[in-house]
Amino acid sequence: MSTSTAPARRSTALPASPIRLTVGGILRSEWIKLRSLRSTVWAYAVVFALQVAIGLLVVSVTVSNTGETFRGGPGANIPELATLGATAGVIFGQLVVSVLGVLVISGEYSTGQIRSSFAAVPKRLPVLWAKLAVFGVTTFVVSLVSILIAFFVTYPILSNANITADLWDPNVFLKLVGAAGYLALSGMLALGIGAILRSTAGGIAAALGLLLVVPIVFGLIPADWSATISDWLPGNAGTAIYQSSRIFEWWQGLLIMLGWIAVAIAAAATLMRRRDA
Amino acid sequence: MIEAHSLTKKYGSKTAVDQVTFTVRPGLVTGFLGPNGAGKSTTMRMIVGLDRPSGGDVTVNGKLYRDHAAPLHEVGVLLDAKAIHQGRSAYSHLLALGATHGIGAKRVHEVIEMTGLDSVAKKRVGGFSLGMGQRLGIAAAMLGDPSTLILDEPVNGLDPEGVVWVRELVRFLASEGRTVLLSSHLMSEMAQTADHIIVLGKGRVLADAPVKDLVSGATTSSVRAVSPRAAEIARLINSPGVTVTSVDGETLEIVGLTAAAVGDAAAAAGIALHELTPLRGSLEDAYMNLTADAVEYRTGVFDPAAPATSASAHAHAGPIVDDEQAAPQNAPTHAASHAAPTSTEATR
Repeated sequence: MSTSTAPARRSTALPASPIRLTVGGILRSEWIKLRSLRSTVWAYAVVFALQVAIGLLVVSVTVSNTGETFRGGPGANIPELATLGATAGVIFGQLVVSVLGVLVISGEYSTGQIRSSFAAVPKRLPVLWAKLAVFGVTTFVVSLVSILIAFFVTYPILSNANITADLWDPNVFLKLVGAAGYLALSGMLALGIGAILRSTAGGIAAALGLLLVVPIVFGLIPADWSATISDWLPGNAGTAIYQSSRIFEWWQGLLIMLGWIAVAIAAAATLMRRRDA
Repeated sequence: MIEAHSLTKKYGSKTAVDQVTFTVRPGLVTGFLGPNGAGKSTTMRMIVGLDRPSGGDVTVNGKLYRDHAAPLHEVGVLLDAKAIHQGRSAYSHLLALGATHGIGAKRVHEVIEMTGLDSVAKKRVGGFSLGMGQRLGIAAAMLGDPSTLILDEPVNGLDPEGVVWVRELVRFLASEGRTVLLSSHLMSEMAQTADHIIVLGKGRVLADAPVKDLVSGATTSSVRAVSPRAAEIARLINSPGVTVTSVDGETLEIVGLTAAAVGDAAAAAGIALHELTPLRGSLEDAYMNLTADAVEYRTGVFDPAAPATSASAHAHAGPIVDDEQAAPQNAPTHAASHAAPTSTEATR
């Protein structure tokens, strides 16, 4: 192989191109990817429907069953009761956003799309950060809108039972925001799990297993340490963000949730840098 | 410009790419040729950082691919047509890909038009045929107006019209001064498309040369002569530097003389020739010879330095049986049946 006598390379010969890989561009790209899939639209529609429908169901059933006792007396926790319906759907919504969170990344690996994504962003990790940001923010906004609408549609039923709360009462508003935040965070945790496992089936099984199966397993073990571990699981500790918990303050629940996400994402990022795409 | 230095990729104990060094220059179409498992795709993936090299490095325009400010403007890559989410439309896929670099809808429409995908651009990729998937992959590769194009098996699954289109496209792109690297299993296609060929076998570079040199260097031009008195001709022209191989009793393959010299010798002796055909090796023959040597080299049975082609030809040169001459009447039939040499016969 003789030494090169090639002409000057083309990229320097042309006028400076405005084309640049930017953080804003990667975020825009992930937003286009998220909104251009049917699964996204369906999943968010289901989150909205669950939030409103289960809110109405829970409030109607509770009010009619408990009657007078449900009415807020002097000692009643009015904000808790007022947000009961609006946040009742979260326990189901978290399953949907977890599935979607896994799909956001595993869908790229299972279809080969990840190679196109990494060819455009060869440093790779910006893709993961952008996915987390776009999916997290979108899930938070969709969840918050759904929860607020659930709050408003359940409001008339609750006020008939003398449970009236001002939306702008911090105790009410922060619980609703916290519930939306919990949904977004559980979706981001699932995204991290999906990025580690790279498979849709495995990712969904692991993410839902962590929420549904693992707590039951620890619940079956009659030991204090087992109960403590169970308390610290994301599906349990995380609920403290939007519900009164006898164990954790809301901010403690938030920190535990963030810790889980940090561990999952750190593992995902390490593997993403190392593995061949 | 792509420069690979001692590029190596190991999967466990298996070495897929073994200390490969080559340069792909601008303004030329460079072909990557090799049998399955030769390491073509792995090498291409390492160029754009999808696979991490186990050793060595490869740069594009002087830098590692991932260190460029606008990777899509440096390299457009088609690795396989299915590197696309099946649930997204072609338009959305290209828009999302371009968005990373601030490439907008205008350019997306341009590449869709360029690749003839207008009618299906809004349809989901899952329903695409292999050929449409290839066109979409090429559209994606062109999106950033890259100075280097890497196309892995770009004509795979395309109809004949599409094959011609890809050939003309890559030739045009090279004529603009871009670097074009493409792989193909279709050696005839490569002969028509590439200027320069890098042959890979078992992860090593077996040849790195212009197409013309590769064909003339790795194959020997020969002359086929058919005559009822073939044995006499063989004796007439036998001299140092001339190799005569008897294919059957009436057919000779002669290396080292031109067709004219063979014809003159036969005419001078008054021997009728029923066929006289100059045989040129094709790229496919060159490729077969090279990769066959690679297999021998890897198994360690033969010394790779030995000039195996002429040695084996000499071994077959001798036995011409005289009683074959006794059937001159059959000769025209024989000549007719051998009148259309195929490329596989040419290097025998």
